[in-house]
Amino acid sequence: MNALFGPLDSRNCVLPRQQTRAAAFLISAHGALARQFAFTLPMKLTSAWQTELNAQVYREAEIVSLLLRATSWVPDLALTCMVASWETAWLPSPLEGIPDRTLATATGLATLAHAVHAKIRPAALLPTEANSNDPFVMALRRIEFENGRLLQAQTVFLKSPELVSFRSAVNSALERRHTEIGKLWAQALEGVGINLRAE
Amino acid sequence: MPFLSHGSYRIRYEVDGPANAPAYVLVNGLTQYAELWAAYRDALVARKFRVATFDLLGQGTSDKPALYINQDDQVAALNLLIGELGDGPVFLSGISFGGMIALRYAIEHGKRLSGLVPMSCFADLSPQLLLLGNALRTGLILGGTSYLQDLLLPMNLSDQWLMPLLDKLDSVKRQGWLVNDVYALQNLMDSFLDFESLTPRLSSISVPTMILNGEFDFLTPRALHETLRVHIPDSSLVIIPRAYHAFTLEKPALTAELLARFAEDVLAGRWQGNKAVWIAPEEVGGEPTPFPSGYNHLRAIPVKDSNP
Repeated sequence: MNALFGPLDSRNCVLPRQQTRAAAFLISAHGALARQFAFTLPMKLTSAWQTELNAQVYREAEIVSLLLRATSWVPDLALTCMVASWETAWLPSPLEGIPDRTLATATGLATLAHAVHAKIRPAALLPTEANSNDPFVMALRRIEFENGRLLQAQTVFLKSPELVSFRSAVNSALERRHTEIGKLWAQALEGVGINLRAE
Repeated sequence: MPFLSHGSYRIRYEVDGPANAPAYVLVNGLTQYAELWAAYRDALVARKFRVATFDLLGQGTSDKPALYINQDDQVAALNLLIGELGDGPVFLSGISFGGMIALRYAIEHGKRLSGLVPMSCFADLSPQLLLLGNALRTGLILGGTSYLQDLLLPMNLSDQWLMPLLDKLDSVKRQGWLVNDVYALQNLMDSFLDFESLTPRLSSISVPTMILNGEFDFLTPRALHETLRVHIPDSSLVIIPRAYHAFTLEKPALTAELLARFAEDVLAGRWQGNKAVWIAPEEVGGEPTPFPSGYNHLRAIPVKDSNP
């Protein structure tokens, strides 16, 4: 068990088995965010913050598209069960304790997006010798970089005045989401020889 | 790897050196992690000190609160660590953000300390520091941890230190990039959003205090350290020659020597703060010299002091 991708192949590329598992998880998570952001986005924008929501829909879709093309895919039977549990974890989960249903749903989505953007650091799994010209390596670096920017929308929203009175509930839900997403990511990688918990 | 518990959060710490010896507690700067004190641990343990290091909340292997990090919690975590050290003498030192946390600890729990060493430190957010902090935060948000490191390295370290590393900066940055997360660094920076000046409370710090400031510190220049010197009664200011903000990384042997000497002087009853201004030696083993009488230590050119 290693805390990073590896061993690398003769061209210093990540092995397809590890690429497949990591990419499947990321596609599932970012795909769910793209869908949920798209459903939340009105046809006609009515608030300034919705411009950010519009950008997020396309950034998440871009990540899915990028991984579909940059990954060296191989069959992975374990994915059948894993994808089902991942997709269940991404289901909309309105924040309990917020009476306004729309706000509760938006907050629930923001906690999921915050956890995915903040907690999952795929580029940090790349060993220093990983081939920078490999599309998968480049894709992971780009996703991690983009996550840092995407995160800002969730941070601003979760700290916004309209959620101040629910600060404790928001904080608890977000901490739970971070733990849950971190655990799913670690479990996904465990089966392909990567042990994040050893860090 | 031992951990302390603060509420639902865990704080990673390490204590080395003889159990009954006087202790030094070292507090990280904002983008740092405990391993960066390794040279201090070795040097101070060799001088018969006990050394405690830890990762602040949001740093390294300590827990990283997802949305809010309160500076009061950092002081509480530090208090937990100092509580682990028993009843012997405790000297507290911290750099930059860590220096400010150390100041807050000394204000609130000063009786537990035998001495305090704030380094590259501040009690106020001056307009320059506030705007620089905002710009660094924006840099983090737009460009990630790596870009923040790119800004901090040339700002805080000398040409002499950087020159041999220019072609391997990625490896210099890698560990800091790995252990620090964007959201956690941002939360640490955001803990300044409700920052209130510590200056009105500095006079309550009664322990011997040695303030260390790099000669060329750009981020927290002399004037910010001068506030500490003027308001902390038993203090002196020591200027580290040719040093920048991150002199603890660049000059560990010299800085560890200054820390050890300070504590030894305090324990032997030799320490006299007198709000004096000193110039540290350039090399280990040299003697500090008083800042030349009649000249203004706040200027970068030799200007006669208007109030000698």
